[in-house]
Amino acid sequence: MNWLQRQIRPEQIRELSLLALIVVAVVFFGSMIDGYYSFRTFNRISSSVAIITVVAVGQTLVVLTRNIDLSVGSIVGFTAYFVGTLIAHHKGLNPFLAVAISIALGAALGVVNGLLVAWGRVPAVVVTLGTLAIYRGVLVDLSGAKTVTTDSLPQWLVNLPTLNVLPIGALDVRALFAAALVIVIIFQFGVTYLSFARRFYAIGSNPEAAQLIGLPMKGIILLAFVISGALAGLAGFMTLARYGNITVEAGRGLELNVVAAVVVGGVNVFGGSGRVTGAMLGAIMIGTLEQSLFRLGISEFWRDALLGLLILLAVASDSVILQRLRLLWARTELKFVQPVEAGAPRS
Amino acid sequence: MTASEGAAEAKTAGAPILEIRGVGKRFDATQALADVSLTLQAGEIHALLGENGAGKSTLIKIVTGVHQPDRGQILLAGRPITIRSAAEAQRLGIAAIYQEPLLFPDLNVAENIFISHQDRGVVVDWRRMFQDAESILAELGVALDVRNPASGLTLAAQQTVEIAKAISMNVRVLIMDEPTASLSAHEAQELFKIVGDLKKQGVAILFVSHRMEEVFEIADRVTVFRDGQLISTRPRAEATPQRAIADMVGRAVDLTRARASVARDELLLSVDHLSRQGVFEDVSFQLHRGEVLGFAGLIGAGRTDVGLALFGIEPATSGSISLAGKPVSVRSPRDGMRLGIAYVSEDRRQLGLVLSMSIFANITLPALRRYLNRFGLIRTGMERQTAETFRKRLAIRTPSIELDVAKLSGGNQQKVMLSKWLNTNPSILILDEPTRGVDVGSKAEVHTIISELASEGIGVIVISSDLPEVLALSDRVLVMREGRQMAILDRADADQESVMTAAMGQRSHQPAQGLQ
Repeated sequence: MNWLQRQIRPEQIRELSLLALIVVAVVFFGSMIDGYYSFRTFNRISSSVAIITVVAVGQTLVVLTRNIDLSVGSIVGFTAYFVGTLIAHHKGLNPFLAVAISIALGAALGVVNGLLVAWGRVPAVVVTLGTLAIYRGVLVDLSGAKTVTTDSLPQWLVNLPTLNVLPIGALDVRALFAAALVIVIIFQFGVTYLSFARRFYAIGSNPEAAQLIGLPMKGIILLAFVISGALAGLAGFMTLARYGNITVEAGRGLELNVVAAVVVGGVNVFGGSGRVTGAMLGAIMIGTLEQSLFRLGISEFWRDALLGLLILLAVASDSVILQRLRLLWARTELKFVQPVEAGAPRS
Repeated sequence: MTASEGAAEAKTAGAPILEIRGVGKRFDATQALADVSLTLQAGEIHALLGENGAGKSTLIKIVTGVHQPDRGQILLAGRPITIRSAAEAQRLGIAAIYQEPLLFPDLNVAENIFISHQDRGVVVDWRRMFQDAESILAELGVALDVRNPASGLTLAAQQTVEIAKAISMNVRVLIMDEPTASLSAHEAQELFKIVGDLKKQGVAILFVSHRMEEVFEIADRVTVFRDGQLISTRPRAEATPQRAIADMVGRAVDLTRARASVARDELLLSVDHLSRQGVFEDVSFQLHRGEVLGFAGLIGAGRTDVGLALFGIEPATSGSISLAGKPVSVRSPRDGMRLGIAYVSEDRRQLGLVLSMSIFANITLPALRRYLNRFGLIRTGMERQTAETFRKRLAIRTPSIELDVAKLSGGNQQKVMLSKWLNTNPSILILDEPTRGVDVGSKAEVHTIISELASEGIGVIVISSDLPEVLALSDRVLVMREGRQMAILDRADADQESVMTAAMGQRSHQPAQGLQ
């Protein structure tokens, strides 16, 4: 048991059990739906998962600092629509520039959230609930409720979702999913190995202590919201590429999927603990459920209700099961041993 | 510069590492610290003693940059410094360890040790961090899995991590604010070994504790504070627990004349083996009509918790309470009020008064049921009548009873609190720190009111950290220490020394013999 405890942490047990649940879900749906095990199903689920994942990575950083960003759905819609309009009018726009504009636009909207939360001292739930409505409202007003249509978009963008970057046998890893994977890897490494990124954990874990040792809390919180906004902006671009037709409704309700992914993925809603990879597993779970229940002909409302139930279950299991596991693991006893002589004075 | 080099330098120069010169600090009406001068030598353990509110915490907060002094100077290794924040204090090599360590529960031990370091590079080298953490802990003579999150650590382990953190920051001045308060005797001994090692390495240690034994076990010098002033600094050889206690309580006793006893024989309240798990245990006493029972002890001794249990806010888990011989169960404040018990909280702002409401509304709040007419509406005229009665009776100084309570002075707020609970017609009144933060004039008035209430036949329990106050008011004094009842002293046996001795857990000195 001791050896096992050294190798596996409670958080990893949680991720492994989530993985097992995903397998169970896939087997279940496979028995319910004819032709479920097909590349079409995989592609459908993977592009849905890709968008949720990218936004969930940003949300993870925000939740780690003991905040929440509910405006992500609106940011996705906002950038999808405006970048779509921009591309429709300037067909020669460089693809990379288009992506950069999406990210910058999302980041700018994130700055507003971050400033209000960190310097305005307004709770994040209130701020982002407000901006959720405001961003959407501005979008509807500025767009005049028009629609971006696929035929107005250049061919490279229309082809992007089916672009196959890594063929594994007959299985495609398409551009959107590959992008999501790259982002997960970058951010998982970032929060593990960058010393400033460890501060996301610190200020969520014990804000009082963080204040006392002089961590720049406002800056860190702002950064979390900016990253969340930027990734939502990127997801906006991905949404544009995936659907082509963008109405003012784009990305609406996405925040529920994203928060569910993050919470189901084991990120503590009270901040301080959680992993980017966990959020991705959460997104895979949510994406699989969404698409499969859709195939089963379950209505959107029941799907949302199920997501809500999942969030509650995840939080409940966190406070019951994970806490127990942690106690079992981390009952670290202090042992007194003979002190090692400090040879040279420490520097 | 490393800690040891700094220490060596200071030693050869003979200059103190930290010097506090004429520091003063005032909070509103309270002079928390007045003209305090103190030195800390390298490799010295300097103990700070004093009753609650004597100014120790204020001094610590000034040295660690939490508060800024109004006057005076702080010198570090001979150079004047200004400490603007806790982070700056750490950079200067001044670290503090509190009773409750401030760690990040989700971060692992190693990360907690190095969290304040700006110099460990942009990329975390986990392997090196774990190794460095392990080697610091090994120097301290403790073994801990540095990969485990801090959330699973015992309090003693957490404190060790705090010390390791301080060492990693090249600490020159280490302040320990009651570090042993929640440790077992064994853990405390191990902590002292570590402290002894730090001392050998030339760290100056300022050590605050309420445990006399340990102060005289490890301290090189003992400084006593009282009422925001430094009373004495003595080398351990010249200091004795008796002398230190005398310095701590030292006020001229005749300023507070003892109240004439009006206690009757009629038994009001009888408490047997009352305990609340993990908070206090085995408290037994009796209270008679017209009797004033004082609860003495240090903050955290469990006095307030007994009061809360009697009133039902935090009910007892075992033991029994009888009123006039009949066993009763007090599970909630509603029970307490129904049984004629009133509890006047020590925390006027949080538990006692609704600051944004008028004086009269505050006074009638707990007994509002009496002021309803037959339609269930409040008869405000009657409310005002009651409030006016109390205003005269307790001499609440206010232009009007319509005024918000927030606008009153501390003493008058205290009187509104008293009115509020007296209006419930209690037979037992529990007063928790009735004169804290109240000026001397109002204090005397509150004492007079307590005497009057006793002569009306109310049984009064006075919980107070102000020892002369307890002695002046009480017919008997119950002394608590760390959740245990240490003694019940009759008025004849109770003096400052005997009470302090019991509160400090010093049993060597027998007050009864001392009187003869």
